[in-house]
Amino acid sequence: MEITLDLVCMPSENIVARIIEEELIIVPLVSGIGDMDDELYTMNRTGRAIWSRLDGEKSLQEIADELAGEFGTSPGVIERDLLGLVTELVRRKMVVVR
Amino acid sequence: MTQLVESVAIQDFPLWTRMKATRGLISFDLEATARCNNNCRHCYINLSAGDRDARSRELTLQEIGCIADQAVELGALWVLISGGEPLLREDFPEIYMLLKRKGLLVSVFTNATLVHDEHIALFKRYPPRDIEVTVYGATEETYERVTGRLGSFDAFTAGLNRLLECGVKVRLKAMAIRSNLHELEAIADFCRARTNDYFRFDPQLHLRFDGNEERNRLIKSERLTPEEVVALEMKDTQRLASLRKNCDILIDGSSSHAACDHLFHCGLGNSSFNVGFDGTFRLCSSLWAPGTTFDLRRGTLREAWKSFVPKVRDMRSRKPEYLENCRACPIVNLCLWCPAHAHLESGELDRPIDYFCRMAHARAAAIRGECPE
Ligand SMILES: C[S@@+](CC[C@H](N)C(=O)[O-])C[C@H]1O[C@@H](n2cnc3c(N)ncnc32)[C@H](O)[C@@H]1O
Ligand code: SF4
Ligand code: SF4
Repeated sequence: MEITLDLVCMPSENIVARIIEEELIIVPLVSGIGDMDDELYTMNRTGRAIWSRLDGEKSLQEIADELAGEFGTSPGVIERDLLGLVTELVRRKMVVVR
Repeated sequence: MTQLVESVAIQDFPLWTRMKATRGLISFDLEATARCNNNCRHCYINLSAGDRDARSRELTLQEIGCIADQAVELGALWVLISGGEPLLREDFPEIYMLLKRKGLLVSVFTNATLVHDEHIALFKRYPPRDIEVTVYGATEETYERVTGRLGSFDAFTAGLNRLLECGVKVRLKAMAIRSNLHELEAIADFCRARTNDYFRFDPQLHLRFDGNEERNRLIKSERLTPEEVVALEMKDTQRLASLRKNCDILIDGSSSHAACDHLFHCGLGNSSFNVGFDGTFRLCSSLWAPGTTFDLRRGTLREAWKSFVPKVRDMRSRKPEYLENCRACPIVNLCLWCPAHAHLESGELDRPIDYFCRMAHARAAAIRGECPE
C-alpha cells in the first residue's frame, strides 16, 4: 500500500510499545512482525517524535507540519522521513492505516 | 533516509548494559504453581497436582497482573513462567497472554506432558521467546523412573512433537542424575536429533525449597559423585572448551572476597527477581532463608526492589568457618556453593558444604590439568 500524507495512522494492536530508560522499544506480540524472529525494535529521536504522534486522529500531513515547526527542518525533509518511516512500519505490520 | 527504526537482536540490546549498571530490573521468574503432574525424584519444588492447600495459595490471575504491572513499570522486559508445571494451571493461557500484552518477552519452562490444542494455537499466534523442555530419559523406562508417573513418557513425546511441529523455538535440556546416568548419551542424541541447540545438561542438584526431609534424602540419592560429574564434563567437548577459555576467571585468587564480610558476592538482586506461587518475592530462586524473602501480598514490588533488596545484599557473616573458607576461596566460581544453597543444605547461609567442596575441588583439579600453564 502506498503511504500518502492524507492518511491517518496508528500503532497496530499486534505490538506493544514501551518506554524503558527513555528508549522507545517495540515488542512484537504476534508472529510475522518484522523480518526476523527474536528481535526488538527501537527508534531514534526523530522516529520517536513521529511515533508518539501516530494517534489515529492526526493525518500524516498534520504530523509533518507539527514536526517541521518543532525541529526547524524544511517540510520537504520531514515529509520524506515521515513517509519513509510510516511505509516501513506499515510493511512490518507495526502501524495500521485507519 | 536516516535509520529511523532499527531492529536489534535481543541479546545485542545496548539497553542491557545500561540497565545492569544502574541496577535496573530486566527480568523476573514467575513460579505459576508448585504443583506438578509428574513426581520427579530429584525435584526441589513439586507438590502433587491435586494439592488443595497449594492450589488455594496460588497467585490469582489478577494478582499476577498486578505484580507484572509493577515489574513493567520498573523496566522489566522479560519473564520466565516456570513451576512446578505451569501448564497444569487451567488459566495458563490467560496468564501467558496477560504477560505478553504488557510488552514482556515470555519464556516457558515445561515438562511438555500437558501440551494441548489450545496451547499450540496460542503459541503459534503469539510466539513465546522460547520454550524449554527437560528431557528426563530417552526411553519410557528411564523417563518414568525419574518422573514417577506411568504414561508420562508418551505424554512427553506427544507434547514435545506438537511443540516442535508448530514452529516455536524449543530448547531441550537434561538433568544428569543417578536414575538416568546410564542413558545420558541417548538423551543427548534424542535432543540433538530434534534441535540444533547445544545440548545442555545440569549435573548439580540443590535441595528442596520446603525442606521436606524425605524428599531431600531422595535428591541426595540422585546426586552424582564429584568424580562422575567431572568425567561427564570432561567428555563434553564444548563445555570443556569454554572451561578452558575461562580458566583464568574460574580459578582465580582475585575472585575471592577476602577483604569483605558480605555474604553475597554474586549478581543477586541486580537485574532480576523470582516470585513464588504464593507471592513470595526472592532475590533468586533458591534464596529462602528467613529475612531474605518478602511477601508481595503485603507489600509492593517497588518496596521489595528499592528498599528490601539492598538490605539483603548488605547481609554479612561473622562465622570464621565461612570467612576463612568460602569467602576466601579461589575456586568459588567452580562451586555450587552460595549462601542460598548453603542454607538449603544446612539451615545456615554461611556454612561450607562438604559435597559442594569436594565437587569444586575435583573440577578444579580436572581443569588445571586441562589449563595451559
Ligand atoms: C522445577 S522444573 C519446572 C519446569 C518443568 N516442570 C520442568 O520439569 O522442566 C525446572 C527445572 O529444574 C530442574 N530441577 C528439578 N529439581 C532440581 C534440583 N533439585 N536441582 C537442580 N535442578 C532441578 C528440573 O529438572 C527442570 O529442568
Ligand atoms: S516435571 Fe518439573 S516440576 Fe514436575 S516434578 Fe519434574 S522437575 Fe519437578
Ligand atoms: S564449599 Fe569449598 S570449594 Fe566451595 S566455595 Fe566453599 S571453600 Fe570453596
